[in-house]
Amino acid sequence: MSDLSELEIDALAKIAGELSYYQLLQVEPDVSGGDLKKAYYSLSRSYHPDANRNLPEKAREGCHRISKVLTEAYCVLRDPRKRKAYDAQLEETGDLRIQLAEAAASHAKSESVRRTGSTPQSKQFLLKAEEDVRNGNLPSAVQNLQMALTFEPGNTGFNEMLEELRKRQQADK
Amino acid sequence: MANQAIGIDLGTSNSCVSLMRDSAAVEVLSNAFGENTTASVVAFHEDGSITVGNAAKANIIHDPAHTVSSAKRLIGRYHFSEEVRKAQAICAYEIMEGSNHGVRIKVRDEEFSLPEISAMVLREMKQIAEARINEKVTKAVITVPAYFNDNQRQATKDAGQIAGLEVLRILNEPTAAALAYGFGKGLEQKVAVYDLGGGTFDISILEIGKDIFEVLSTCGDTFLGGDDFDDRILDMLADGFVAKEGINPRNDPFAFEKLKVAAEAAKKGLSVDEEVEIRIPDVLVGEDGETRSLEHTITRSQFGELVQDLVQRTFKVCDEALQQANLTVRDLDGIILVGGPTRLPIIREAVSQYFQQEPKADVDPDEVVAMGAAIHAASLVNSDQDAFLLDVTPLDLRIGVAGGLAEPIIERNTPVPIEQSRNFSPFKDHQESVTLKVYQGDSRQAEHNELLGQFEFSGFTPGLRSKTSIEVRFEINADGIVNVIARDPVSGQQASTEITLSSGLSEAEMDDILTRDRTASVKTAANPDDDSQDDDLVIEPKDSTDTLELVADDDLDEDDAGPAIGRVALKTVAVGQPTPVMTAPGSDEDPNAAAETTDTDTGTETRDQLFDRSEDVDLSGDPEDTQQE
Ligand SMILES: Nc1ncnc2c1ncn2[C@@H]1O[C@H](COP(=O)(O)OP(=O)(O)O)[C@@H](O)[C@H]1O
Ligand SMILES: [Mg+2]
Repeated sequence: MSDLSELEIDALAKIAGELSYYQLLQVEPDVSGGDLKKAYYSLSRSYHPDANRNLPEKAREGCHRISKVLTEAYCVLRDPRKRKAYDAQLEETGDLRIQLAEAAASHAKSESVRRTGSTPQSKQFLLKAEEDVRNGNLPSAVQNLQMALTFEPGNTGFNEMLEELRKRQQADK
Repeated sequence: MANQAIGIDLGTSNSCVSLMRDSAAVEVLSNAFGENTTASVVAFHEDGSITVGNAAKANIIHDPAHTVSSAKRLIGRYHFSEEVRKAQAICAYEIMEGSNHGVRIKVRDEEFSLPEISAMVLREMKQIAEARINEKVTKAVITVPAYFNDNQRQATKDAGQIAGLEVLRILNEPTAAALAYGFGKGLEQKVAVYDLGGGTFDISILEIGKDIFEVLSTCGDTFLGGDDFDDRILDMLADGFVAKEGINPRNDPFAFEKLKVAAEAAKKGLSVDEEVEIRIPDVLVGEDGETRSLEHTITRSQFGELVQDLVQRTFKVCDEALQQANLTVRDLDGIILVGGPTRLPIIREAVSQYFQQEPKADVDPDEVVAMGAAIHAASLVNSDQDAFLLDVTPLDLRIGVAGGLAEPIIERNTPVPIEQSRNFSPFKDHQESVTLKVYQGDSRQAEHNELLGQFEFSGFTPGLRSKTSIEVRFEINADGIVNVIARDPVSGQQASTEITLSSGLSEAEMDDILTRDRTASVKTAANPDDDSQDDDLVIEPKDSTDTLELVADDDLDEDDAGPAIGRVALKTVAVGQPTPVMTAPGSDEDPNAAAETTDTDTGTETRDQLFDRSEDVDLSGDPEDTQQE
């Protein structure tokens, strides 16, 4: 049973989304896996929805909200790849929260760029193509990929992506 | 003391109920026959009465079409799903399509939804508990396979409500087992829970840190279990019979059920003996009017060969779970076995070999899940909470986007509770509404996943697609149940739609079910001594004339069937007139009084008829990672 007051819960619930994951879990930016887990366990004892079942509705909702952000923070920081993406984001944009799927994907993306682009020009066009995909402009993405391929013919990664894009274009029709 | 909360392991084959009273020891509550587990089988008798349990299971042989077993395989499923097709092939009872593409079971001209069938089993377990402790029970923690999706969890929760229970929590079976194993011991261990049941296999890897039970990963196969072992033996018996007699016993529903019972009993016999002889004196009567019998001996090693591939399939799933947890077998401090088939020596040996250690011996594989549920139930109603469960979601949660794809929002094995929001833009300029489709599963192709539901959202100002943004929030709560909310972040107004996704019963159907409460006509064997019980319910376990005999080979004697090793004891229930509504001892209250106030998590929930397969998705997501796969 948590011995937190409703006020404390309420206060944290309000700002949980405005803290960095490190601040929320009360750990240093270089925290190790073991200490991270300790911190998460200790906070879970206080804020787990089950820990506060006897508190009034509002406080329980607060705990639920805090729990969800705690879980998110733990999820990102315990996974070295997601954590790297998060640290990069903190540095670049200062955004305090990251989408889990995005953190996973942004790592995969940087991997794939490294794997696929080997000349400055092809890299450039690949980036453009990726941006087009993000903006939903498939025809332009296809064009840019074809350009990337002229600078780096035979790149299997480019070819695969091109094929995938064509399939999607087809499907969208 | 009022307010006892029980733990129920609602199994595919057997259910078990347990209680932890006032922080004392955890007890398993046995039924009127003194059995700690009760078959999850519902028999619909000719006189309109309904019975549940081991007696009902014995009824399969006489009346397969009116005896519903393994309902858990169908709960929360769509009628068109592969699982339902498989079940239709093997079940003698009638499986039909209901509203919302749901499944209905038709027995004696009445149609029942799956939550109603499961509610009958739950009500029986509730009444077993009430009879044992002599108190009314209204609260329960109900366990489900970790691999259950949202539809199955929601339907199980509905079943609890129909049974007149406030469902405190839907708890994953392996997590419950780990809790029962580690509760109050102050352990610091990593353990694997290997749960092989009648129809499902689950593996969970947990880290126990004193009072914290953290699930690191969970994987499973919802169509792999001890029943598949029976099928292998059944095939062997049937093929042998065809070869010898030229008649296929599979075509005779009674013969088929007899073979099934014999196969299961033989399998269980092999848990004890090296060799089992199966004798069915009267499999069927041929066209010539002659009664045919079947005799067959099976050894452990023959059985091992028959099921080897099935056993290996479980380890494929274990590989995956370990990999997801970032561990190897050497990191594990303990293996906990759950489920009837783990009593089989071939399973124990294979498990020891795979994990390179002996499984824990002091865990009862049939009772540990219910015990864990009872511990959790007790800690949820008592203020002195001493265990925290940090569970995970077993499946990727996805949203449908243009091109028939499904983008992952929350990956499997992400801890819960969790919330993720995403911004999407409509597919076309000036689009006025979008259809959101939410899926669970591991495929990028939307259609290969389980559709949890879909809903229209039009609470945004139409405009250029590049300027229009819709925020969708996805939440998975501690029950593993999914909620989705869409909102226009620009207007920021109350343009939000909250739905509880469900393929199952609509709110109206639930109301109707609760009003009619057909589950209340279950004649319970739980407390036959109770005065409130109708007198003409007679329960007499007795040997039936159809008894199948199974004897260990070394005990075999010409006339003597030997000791009853693996003997199929058939209990027969003699029933009188239908009984009126069964209420708890000493109470004339409506047993569903508690039901109205359940479901606190979702508040005002609307369960629209959401399903329409033909409709196309019209959302384009943020497709930046499309090229990766
Ligand atoms: N002693 C035993 N040896 C081998 N298999 C058994 C034994 N007892 C039960 N089983 C098998 O276990 C399965 C049911 O397991 P159980 O754990 O009760 O499943 P569920 O959790 O799905 O209800 C059935 O296939 C049954 O035949
Ligand atoms: Mg089970």
